[in-house]
Amino acid sequence: MLAPLLIWLLVFVLVPLGILAVFSFCERDEIGRVVFSFTWENYGRVFDATYLMVFARSIGYAALTTGLCVLLGFPVAWFVARCAPALRQRLLLLLMVPFWTSFLIRTYAWITILKSEGLLNSLLLGLGLVSAPLELLYTPFAVVVGLVYTYLPFMILPIYSSAEKVDGALIEAAYDLGCGPFRTFTEIILPLTKPGIYAGVLLVFVPAIGMFAVTDLLGGARVPMLGNVIQNQFFQARDWPFGAALGVVFTLLFAVAYWFLQRRGARPGSFA
Amino acid sequence: MKSIRRVLALASLAVCSVALSGADKELNLFAWSEYVPAKVIEGFTKETGIKVNYETFASGEEMLAKLLAGGAAYDLIQPPDYMAETMIKNGLLAPIDFSRVPNMANLAPEFLRLPHDPAQKFTVPYMAGTVGIVVNTERIKTPIMGYADVFQPRHKNRIVVVNDNRELITWALYVAGGQTNEINAASIAKARPILARWIPLIKVFDSDSPKTALLNGDCDLGIVWSGEAALLYNENKKFVYVLPVEGAHRFVDLMAIPKGAPNPAAATLFIDYVLRPEVSKLISDAFPYTNPNAAARKLLSAEQLANPASYPPGAPVLGAMRAIGKEAAQVDKLVTDLKSAR
Repeated sequence: MLAPLLIWLLVFVLVPLGILAVFSFCERDEIGRVVFSFTWENYGRVFDATYLMVFARSIGYAALTTGLCVLLGFPVAWFVARCAPALRQRLLLLLMVPFWTSFLIRTYAWITILKSEGLLNSLLLGLGLVSAPLELLYTPFAVVVGLVYTYLPFMILPIYSSAEKVDGALIEAAYDLGCGPFRTFTEIILPLTKPGIYAGVLLVFVPAIGMFAVTDLLGGARVPMLGNVIQNQFFQARDWPFGAALGVVFTLLFAVAYWFLQRRGARPGSFA
Repeated sequence: MKSIRRVLALASLAVCSVALSGADKELNLFAWSEYVPAKVIEGFTKETGIKVNYETFASGEEMLAKLLAGGAAYDLIQPPDYMAETMIKNGLLAPIDFSRVPNMANLAPEFLRLPHDPAQKFTVPYMAGTVGIVVNTERIKTPIMGYADVFQPRHKNRIVVVNDNRELITWALYVAGGQTNEINAASIAKARPILARWIPLIKVFDSDSPKTALLNGDCDLGIVWSGEAALLYNENKKFVYVLPVEGAHRFVDLMAIPKGAPNPAAATLFIDYVLRPEVSKLISDAFPYTNPNAAARKLLSAEQLANPASYPPGAPVLGAMRAIGKEAAQVDKLVTDLKSAR
């Protein structure tokens, strides 16, 4: 039974990663073909101030996105998990509905909402809340809205699966023994849903670092993120080895983050 | 496991037989997005029975990267002129059998034997255009003549430009008195302070559809492909197109057959089909770039020919971009650096 899994891992994980690692030590010719000769130069360039700043900014945006997703996602997940089973199924279905439409089309919908003469500005102007249209599209605000919108379901679903397992009797017991709502939350609910939160953080943080479509479409490609820089190496600069080196460093970063969270998440119970 | 293997074997057999029978009946076209009208493809299929698979790219660099990566066998590609030059130099294009392209005679002579393909052996012009300034004259009342007028502090956050680093640095070079293709360490250093002033003023970088930000009212000034500018002008005459006084260049997008293409005969047939005046007119109707087909131009309406973005008044003679080598990476780093610094 293990063989299919191993083949899957080999074909879709190890081989591509191996190619990436090999390319990252190669050079390129004039038109961008990879030349197999060994060099450290690509890694030297990764640690150039320009790209370190891009790394730092990408991490900042991803962290903000993850934080907002936890704040918005936890109440939703908890609420859904505490509903009657029949209603729960319907609510979960509603969470999935956006995935039936292409991600790009949903992002274009945000352009229609946020643009100067868009839905949100018309509403605010119509209600008399603002006197001139707000600058929303092509700002960091739009990028964060797009990122949170894209990744919120990936936070809600793992938290939901943890929250669903929390025994209501434990909460009642906490109240009986004199805990207020705040202590019940911090001492009972939070520790029991921690595995879900950690899984959600991983599922949101890692892809948010590498996202480039949202920053291009909603951010106007003004502020380069890691995903944009890597994409540029392949399509504009024709420098695959450097793009590969960025990719390898990015993958290592992901591995370290995973290891860190796994260690912390493993303590109270097993990692979901 | 056994049954899986049998399914796989059957599937591969099926794929092979489809590939064999379909060899003459399919054309794999790899072209710019928003450039080949569906009507043209349908008309070709109807007449010849050859099915066209239309795959798209958004920049010449992307096209080359995907072609070099292999994996997909394209019969007909649409490189821009400077990219075709690189490809010819590196032996990536197959010569075209011009004895089967009688409609070549329809092309205007000014679009033949250009520097990228001086012997006219490998490429056929598809459409041409320029990169210039679009002004929303309802919002911008001061005269805009060139890049220096666009990149003024009072226009901060009202500007959209194509997301193309080579273009950006070329505009800065024009302002500094340089030439279109003068890209080297010294000129990159010269362009740096100019771009450092310009980039913080720009609101949107978009190569796919720069007209959107102008139509939506998010920007009032744009430096965009002339075809996009022509569409804006057709939408509303307030969008005026200006060729920058400091300097501008013309691009010609081409049709070419990559070496090793599985079906060069179908590709040649398609090239000749596109060069028919009535077919070429369909392309101009949908995507109003500069049509290099003199016979097709005769079929265009007076209104189409009067669109200043498609056919700049006075027909200025403009140079072309040429291939640059590894400097592309330096240009990319410079722009990434400056975008990060804001």
